[in-house]
Amino acid sequence: MRATLSTIAFAAVLATSAQAQQASRTQPVEGMRDNGTGYHALVGARVVTGPGQVLDEATIVIRDGLIQSVGRGTDAPAGARVWDLDGLTVYPGFIDAHADLEMDAVPEGGDIGPTHWNPQVRAWFSTTRNLADDEDRRSALRSQGFGTALVVPKEGLFRGTASVIGLGDEGVRDRVLRPDVAQAIGFQRSFELGGSYPNSAMGTIALMKQTLMDADWYMRAWEAYEASGRAFLPPETSEALAALEDAVHGSQPVVFETGSEEEYLRAHGLATEFGLTPWFRGNGLEYRLIDVLRGRTDPLIVPLDFPDAPDVGYPGAALDASLADLRHWYLAPTSPGQLAEAGVRFAITTDGLSSLNEFLPNLRIAVARGLAADDALAALTTTPASWLGIDRTHGTITEGKVANLVVSEGDLFTEEATVRDVWVQGRVYGITRPAQIDPRGSWEIASDDEWGFDAVLVLEGSLNRLRGYLDIASTGPELPGGARVDLASARAVAETGRIDARFNGEVLGYQGMALLSGSVRGDEFYGWTSLPNGADPSFRGTRTEGFEGPERGTVAMDVPDIDLPFIRPMMDYGRSSIPEQPAAVVVRNATVWTQGPEGILEGADLLIRAGTIEAVGMDLDAPGGAVEIDATGKHVTPGLIDPHIHSGVSAVNESGFAIVPEVRMGDVVTHNNIWMYRQVAGGLTTAHIKHGSANPIGGENVFVKMRWGSLPEDLKLENPPRTVKFALGENPKRRQGRYPDTRMGTQEIIRDHFMAARDYEREWQQWEETGEGLPPRRDLRMEAILDILNQELLISSHGYRADEFLALVRLAEEFGFRVQTLQHGVEAYKIASELAESNVAAVVWSDWGSFKLEAYDATLYNARILIEAGVVTSLHSDNSEIASRMNWEAGKLLRTGLTPEQALSTVTIGSARAMAIDDQVGSLEPGKDGDFVIWSGDPLSQFTRAEETWIDGRRYFSLGEDAAMRDQIAQERTQLIQAILSIEGGGGGRNVEMEGN
Amino acid sequence: MTTTQRGTMKRTWSRAARMAGVAVAVLWALVPATIGAQVRMTVPPQSEPVALQGATIHTVTSGVIENGTIVLEDGVITAIGTDVDIPAGARVVDATGKHIYPGLIDAFSTVGIAEIGAVDVSNDVNELGDFNPNVRADIAVNAESRHIGTTRSAGVLTTLTTPGGGLVSGMSSALALEGWSWEEMSMQSAAALNVNWPNPNPGRFRGFGGFRFGPQEDRPSYEEQIEQLKDFFGEARAYRDAVAAGAEVRSDSRYAAMIPVFDGEIPVVVAADGAAQINDAITWAQEEGFRIVIRGGQDAIHVADRLVAEDIPVILTSTMAAPGRQYEGYDGAYSMPARLHEAGVRFAISGGSGALYSNRLPFEAGVAVAFGLPEEEALKAVTINPAQFLGLDDRIGSLEPGKQATFLITTGTPLDMTSDIEQAYIQGRELDMTDIQKFFFEKYMEKVRQQMRRVIS
Repeated sequence: MRATLSTIAFAAVLATSAQAQQASRTQPVEGMRDNGTGYHALVGARVVTGPGQVLDEATIVIRDGLIQSVGRGTDAPAGARVWDLDGLTVYPGFIDAHADLEMDAVPEGGDIGPTHWNPQVRAWFSTTRNLADDEDRRSALRSQGFGTALVVPKEGLFRGTASVIGLGDEGVRDRVLRPDVAQAIGFQRSFELGGSYPNSAMGTIALMKQTLMDADWYMRAWEAYEASGRAFLPPETSEALAALEDAVHGSQPVVFETGSEEEYLRAHGLATEFGLTPWFRGNGLEYRLIDVLRGRTDPLIVPLDFPDAPDVGYPGAALDASLADLRHWYLAPTSPGQLAEAGVRFAITTDGLSSLNEFLPNLRIAVARGLAADDALAALTTTPASWLGIDRTHGTITEGKVANLVVSEGDLFTEEATVRDVWVQGRVYGITRPAQIDPRGSWEIASDDEWGFDAVLVLEGSLNRLRGYLDIASTGPELPGGARVDLASARAVAETGRIDARFNGEVLGYQGMALLSGSVRGDEFYGWTSLPNGADPSFRGTRTEGFEGPERGTVAMDVPDIDLPFIRPMMDYGRSSIPEQPAAVVVRNATVWTQGPEGILEGADLLIRAGTIEAVGMDLDAPGGAVEIDATGKHVTPGLIDPHIHSGVSAVNESGFAIVPEVRMGDVVTHNNIWMYRQVAGGLTTAHIKHGSANPIGGENVFVKMRWGSLPEDLKLENPPRTVKFALGENPKRRQGRYPDTRMGTQEIIRDHFMAARDYEREWQQWEETGEGLPPRRDLRMEAILDILNQELLISSHGYRADEFLALVRLAEEFGFRVQTLQHGVEAYKIASELAESNVAAVVWSDWGSFKLEAYDATLYNARILIEAGVVTSLHSDNSEIASRMNWEAGKLLRTGLTPEQALSTVTIGSARAMAIDDQVGSLEPGKDGDFVIWSGDPLSQFTRAEETWIDGRRYFSLGEDAAMRDQIAQERTQLIQAILSIEGGGGGRNVEMEGN
Repeated sequence: MTTTQRGTMKRTWSRAARMAGVAVAVLWALVPATIGAQVRMTVPPQSEPVALQGATIHTVTSGVIENGTIVLEDGVITAIGTDVDIPAGARVVDATGKHIYPGLIDAFSTVGIAEIGAVDVSNDVNELGDFNPNVRADIAVNAESRHIGTTRSAGVLTTLTTPGGGLVSGMSSALALEGWSWEEMSMQSAAALNVNWPNPNPGRFRGFGGFRFGPQEDRPSYEEQIEQLKDFFGEARAYRDAVAAGAEVRSDSRYAAMIPVFDGEIPVVVAADGAAQINDAITWAQEEGFRIVIRGGQDAIHVADRLVAEDIPVILTSTMAAPGRQYEGYDGAYSMPARLHEAGVRFAISGGSGALYSNRLPFEAGVAVAFGLPEEEALKAVTINPAQFLGLDDRIGSLEPGKQATFLITTGTPLDMTSDIEQAYIQGRELDMTDIQKFFFEKYMEKVRQQMRRVIS
């Protein structure tokens, strides 16, 4: 039963300030000038002049838009218009460091002029030049306390320049404080802008890199052109590249909008690589990266978009709630507080909220969940002011600064306070009208009317959430007596001093709602009702008791205190830290499958020192303090390797062009990947994450180790070979409207790009020799293809049929190099001898096939034939789940007649050799990485399971630790689900409630 | 085909029956001699008694017989034990050191009606519309499907080939995987009626319980679909009652097909994975009075008490799979059979984890052993249990006199790849164990040999 405040939000300019000074305005005044005095005294308020600085009963004097003085006392200077703010609080006007004024809508028909070939690159777009009449957005921002904002464009990847503007109603020329101070970049492209490339996370980053490099080249190319005396044709014209000049040289900040942990890390990496001056718009997941952010000083601007609670309202729903979602619900509101506690400076933005009206409520939640009010104020005033370069004029209530103020009833950060007025540059904007009546208390009302009744009317609650009831004491002729009815709604209307309420007429014997209105004057009440029977009896009444309750609700934490230790990733089975690396580990008395020259050793030991294999053999001496593992009856194998998975990256295919070797899977590795835990639990220690198969030449792949609990960069294999995905056959040709459509065309577009790369190389050589003409531009795609031709970027080609593979192998040979591996290779057995002769490794499935036409000739004997022919052979999964049980995939090969050692080689040393990482992993030999698995029995048996998985001499999985984690997860899930259920209404995402109303 | 050729073919059968696995010279004399392999040949019905001696016989229902003998006549097991009379004229096969297991049964398969996943025209699984009780899988079975041989090589000799799609998908057919035509292969044309229980939370489950293909968009709500289902069954029951009462009704093949269901002759297999789905499906079946089998059962453990109390069996479709939920153990699917066993739920394991063919069925059961299920229970889950649930246990599912002679000769348990399946019999026919995969092996090993010879010379 809520009621709305008597004070309806309104937007009106209550007093005008002096316009900009006469001598510095360009526009003549038409008609009469409208200046007002511009001279105000705000008297009697509690003034928070800045974070941690409060003046009680102070007076602020404003003159011509500036603060003339602020100090204790209530003396207003003569001539100033006096504003009595007794009982109110004044804060410095807020600054939104990443505001969206929705000013960069995409023009119909697309951008015009020489901008950039890619419609997602709009670096030339200027928020200053496009400043428009956006009254609604500015007024909505003001209603949340903001007087200043960095307006950021939101469309495209390179979005254009952000400007600092005032949020008052001055004309566009008087609103800009700092034009075009920063370039804005986002990771999510705008579909409205069109263009097919990039359409993936890695393509986006590749385009960003290429564009930054192009911007650098663009300047040099034009300089060379001018320096030559314009002796040849100029380079192309691109407003976008021209606009990036300052940004690529680090002299103009670049604001990255990051939507996830990973995007933050990627943006940071990109900024570092290119020497940019980065600012970051965060994403609400900062609580997951506190350790990374601690100590970083780049401007960080965080949103207050807190998640709704997961639905746990019935058993089936509760069963589906992941710990990741539950934790996010609980922890997201603590993110700002955690940042402050870690000493990270940050600003707060309204950006990211579905409605601006959520801003202040969410701000209070953040405060209730651990953010000190002073830190919150700093994040909205002094911190953004200094980053935006306006701290001399904005951010505090200080003599000489611009008069940007927030006037509130109550403490904005800890109470259900109401923003009364916002002052922007000495102009006041009313936000809510003050309550002019207080109807709360107990009223005795009576009527002489035939249809009237006597009752006690009780109104209580806070003024903006009025509630109450009627106690009907005596009744009219045909009505039951002595009943109580709650008011269905009640509100007080400030302007008229009237209250309006409604209640269910059933209490009076009617079907329908009854309306009750009354004018309140002091303790007198003159009222009337409108009853469902059409009668409208009138009443008189008097207040017999005043209201005694808190003036307004305070905001308090309503969720139980749950101890949720930091884990990474912040999801089910996340680790509190990376496992220890003991100085030495010795595994005793196991059946050791070395997969090296020593073969399978019974009753042998394995010794790891500092993460590296030191020895394999019988009765090894271990250094004192070594961790001893008795593996009697167990089998030990090298950690398993899967040369082809797609889990663990944010995207798989960049299909915008047929040829995209410039994109890198290494740019988009994610650690938020539950598959990795399942895979390490199945003995997988190394994997090759591949680009998808949409392109004849796809992107660069990445090797990872299953270091579950690490951040993306730490997951990557050290000193890996570089590999690139090719794809043949059905997949690359099935993209409609994009060349090629046949296997013939696939071969030709690859050949054409090989030749193009040689041309590119020659152009560079010529320029380097002569220095004549335009400097060539670095082209990441061509550079990657040159690396392919020079065997520095190894081909790892998807395909099924024998014909297409043979064609690629021969094409490479024509260009004088070698294909490293064929992958999938369902028909590799048909060209086994050719592969052996050309030294091409085969990465195949055990028994997967028939899911498409080109997979119809699959045979379990594929690996057997390849091995017999002398081809380096590996299995792969191409599947997140199968990657977690590669030993069983290898086991199937036993039925083809391979020896156990041969069978296991297809997921260990064979895989390592196929992928050219056999100097590091793949066998248990001295000097290799300490990656091994302890199995309950024969690793090739369907009845065997992995018991421990070690990587770099660290134990990343064990059955015991897994069991303990399950207990911990069960406990946390129960606590969090109970927490949601304990919140009234099942938890609508708000985990605080308002007390005292 | 000329008469002469037909005669040639006939001779081929008898040779193949005696010399299974050996190249059939007469037939392959017609093709270049360099190819030593053949594609699977179909063999004639058993024509003489056979006794296999000296094997370890895993009967499933009557324990393990060491050094045992098994006698088969006219496709049926006539004797089994350590001390049995070998009929006169019987061919005696020495199986010393070998193991004999019943042929494995895949209770949920598309063998014969699905060939190549992405080639729609090669698949006959989903009929149009929500209610297709009258469609029967067997008549669409391609007896020449490549997957039949591959499936048999893995030890799976019987499949419940099952239509999918809609709410009522049609009839599973029990197929013996040997025969010239579907007619010869079909053991029971309508073995079970398949119902896809609506999903209250589309997208939540991987859909292995039902088939994942087929349009799901624009579905009515969960409740509406259940209403439709109830309404359809209500009409069908009325039709059956009218027919039973001799009333004159216009014929309806869909309702007519369901009469055996109302008469309790065949079970209703309901695909349901979520706890709410399983519960709601059971409630429905009880109201209708059906014999019900749950298929899918990813959340069966959450409904275990009820499944035990009502004695409702489950056909698990995804044991070798990732857990359905992030917080569940990595072995959530692997250990599901062990947990159901401990809870007392009766279950079968099917080969339904996304494979187009059933050759991974043994491993779907084997993985459960690695994660706590006793080996003999895993074996039951792919032999006698599915036979019982689907009313086939009078003929297959265990090695007992009177049952069909459908079994495997192996070097060890068929559930583990460390042992080999050497020979299979279906209804007494000694199979040609060649399959397309072995054919390619023979052919392309020959290519490797030829090229090596060329390199050497």
